[in-house]
Amino acid sequence: MRAFRHLSLSDALGIGLILCVAVFSLLLLVAPSIIVVMISFDTRAFVSFPPEGFTLRWYAEVFEQGELVDAMLNSLQVGLTVTLLCILLGVPTALACARGRFRGTTALSVFVLVPHMVPGIVLGVAVLFAGALVGVSPSIWLQSVAITVFILAVMVRTVQSRLVRLDPALEEAAANLRATPFQSLRTVTFPLLMPAILAGAVFTFVEGFDNLSVAIFTHGFRDRPLPVELLALVQYTSSPLVAAVSGVQIVLAIAALVAVSLSIGLDNVND
Amino acid sequence: MMQGPTGPATSVATTSPVLRIGGVGKRFGTFTVLDDCSLDVAEGEIVTLLGPSGCGKTTLLRCIAGFWDADSGSITIDGQDMARVPVNRRPVGVVFQSYALFPHLTVARNVGYALRMQGVPRAEAARRVAAALETVSLTGFEDRYPAQLSGGQQQRVAIARVLVMEPRVLLLDEPFNALDAKLRGTMQVELRQLIKSLGLTSIFVTHDQEEALTMSDRIAVMRAGRIEQAAPPDEIFDRPATAYVADFIGSSNFWPSLVADGRVSLPDGQSVATGLRGAVRVMARPHNLQIAPPAAGPWQGRVAFQRSVGPLVEYHVETEGGDAMVKVVAMRRAQDRGFADGTAVSLRIVDPALCAVYPA
Ligand SMILES: Nc1ncnc2c1ncn2[C@@H]1O[C@H](COP(=O)(O)OP(=O)(O)OP(=O)(O)O)[C@@H](O)[C@H]1O
Ligand SMILES: [Mg+2]
Repeated sequence: MRAFRHLSLSDALGIGLILCVAVFSLLLLVAPSIIVVMISFDTRAFVSFPPEGFTLRWYAEVFEQGELVDAMLNSLQVGLTVTLLCILLGVPTALACARGRFRGTTALSVFVLVPHMVPGIVLGVAVLFAGALVGVSPSIWLQSVAITVFILAVMVRTVQSRLVRLDPALEEAAANLRATPFQSLRTVTFPLLMPAILAGAVFTFVEGFDNLSVAIFTHGFRDRPLPVELLALVQYTSSPLVAAVSGVQIVLAIAALVAVSLSIGLDNVND
Repeated sequence: MMQGPTGPATSVATTSPVLRIGGVGKRFGTFTVLDDCSLDVAEGEIVTLLGPSGCGKTTLLRCIAGFWDADSGSITIDGQDMARVPVNRRPVGVVFQSYALFPHLTVARNVGYALRMQGVPRAEAARRVAAALETVSLTGFEDRYPAQLSGGQQQRVAIARVLVMEPRVLLLDEPFNALDAKLRGTMQVELRQLIKSLGLTSIFVTHDQEEALTMSDRIAVMRAGRIEQAAPPDEIFDRPATAYVADFIGSSNFWPSLVADGRVSLPDGQSVATGLRGAVRVMARPHNLQIAPPAAGPWQGRVAFQRSVGPLVEYHVETEGGDAMVKVVAMRRAQDRGFADGTAVSLRIVDPALCAVYPA
């Protein structure tokens, strides 16, 4: 603690202030989750805080209610579809924007952003009407495509910002070292982009899983995603069941993050 | 010059060149970066491209490697025109200024990269990687990542990585830039010896003349996209083809003069023959001047400033009628203290034949 002895008052105040802000913002981020998790164990049949007692009854009920489990599986499917589509469309788009030598790369990178700027509700309605026009009715697939359009910009931007920071000499070195353009992409560009692609995948999966604004207009009548199902649920009940669903989601989110950070740490295994 | 012990200059004339750069031009928009550059590089020769920043050295290197296409002229390696040959099929190895090591691959995998791309069988690849690492004395570093190496070690990995594919032509773009001054000196000598022992035909880029003098069999001095002179270091130094080269390499003294009867008179009264006519500029190297106590003679002056450069002393002498300081280099003498500032001195040109005459 020697270092602290010489701190002036203003230094101490500054450090104290930074600590306070840090703790406050952490609380701001974490507190709602903690409150939700606490409520999900409440023994009473209505949402109230602080909770009384402890029960796993609501968690059991989540998995007994067929609609909730179906909705979770639907959202899982949407999340994975959106992620896959975003990787398949977003990575080449980012490559084209950052490395392309043709005209219009700037236009393309702005164009990708537009759907993300439109309010989700507007986009959802637009996709619904456009779908009706060409005879495509709302379904889990239409929902997935609509959310992909909505969130694609995040994947493109994440990958693009990593790409422009990559030393262009790395790809030139690969070519000089006898790599074909495809080999260079596979062995140099792609592995170096992997952390960005994984980060983008987390964002897009969460959006696919969690999006309400676009989904509410585009989801299939028989394939309700979780957010839509929950919206219906809170309109009719106020039991901690909703909190228990959130609890499950939080556990899934933490598991996904741990998995991603582990795989980024292991990305040296790549060729 | 031709009977020097290493004799690279002689081999230039006798064998056909490995790399032939013929009238290469390159423009960006309306800006001409390379203008009719021609250069032949013989088997095993190290040629340095030397010139100030922005004169087109990197551009020429990138055209040879195939990263950029030349707008005009031709580049041939072993007689084969490179125009339609893509980067990954050119028998060329590039050591980048930033080294461009793959950060996600270990040293061994960096070095083995080209072999994997070519589908060389594993056992053979492993053997060649080990040999390349031994050549650059990095055995034992196989499993490190580039970020875990020093600048000098990274440079050696970059060199091993291209050596392993046995290129016909080695291109090095300012490979010492990232190293500190002290390491640079030793690495220059080591790298030259390594390239020479492997007999690799090389083009080396730098804007540091000392580095060029250390590394090269021949130096090509560039100026604004053109090659002004390509010659062995001694010749560049002793017989610079243009005033620009004389000014750029080493230090020099210039005087304006007039040609009379095919001779130019020098400030000390001697004269030198020339084929030029009219107004000219005469150049003498500082070590070709002799400084002495005042004596009867046409060239007198006063020491204005002096500094020690290792075993040498450089005097700046103010002369009557001359506008610029005359630079003289002499051996430092142990007995006396040389010439103090302010001392009156007389100057003389040691060998008038070594003075160069350029059009004014
Ligand atoms: N992509 C480009 N577009 C337009 N101009 C360029 C481009 N690359 C280089 N130039 C110009 O070409 C000229 C030569 O550049 P080059 O990189 O070959 O110089 P250099 O001799 O290697 O200089 P340095 O010693 O600073 O590396 C410079 O004036 C530069 O501004
Ligand atoms: Mg350069």
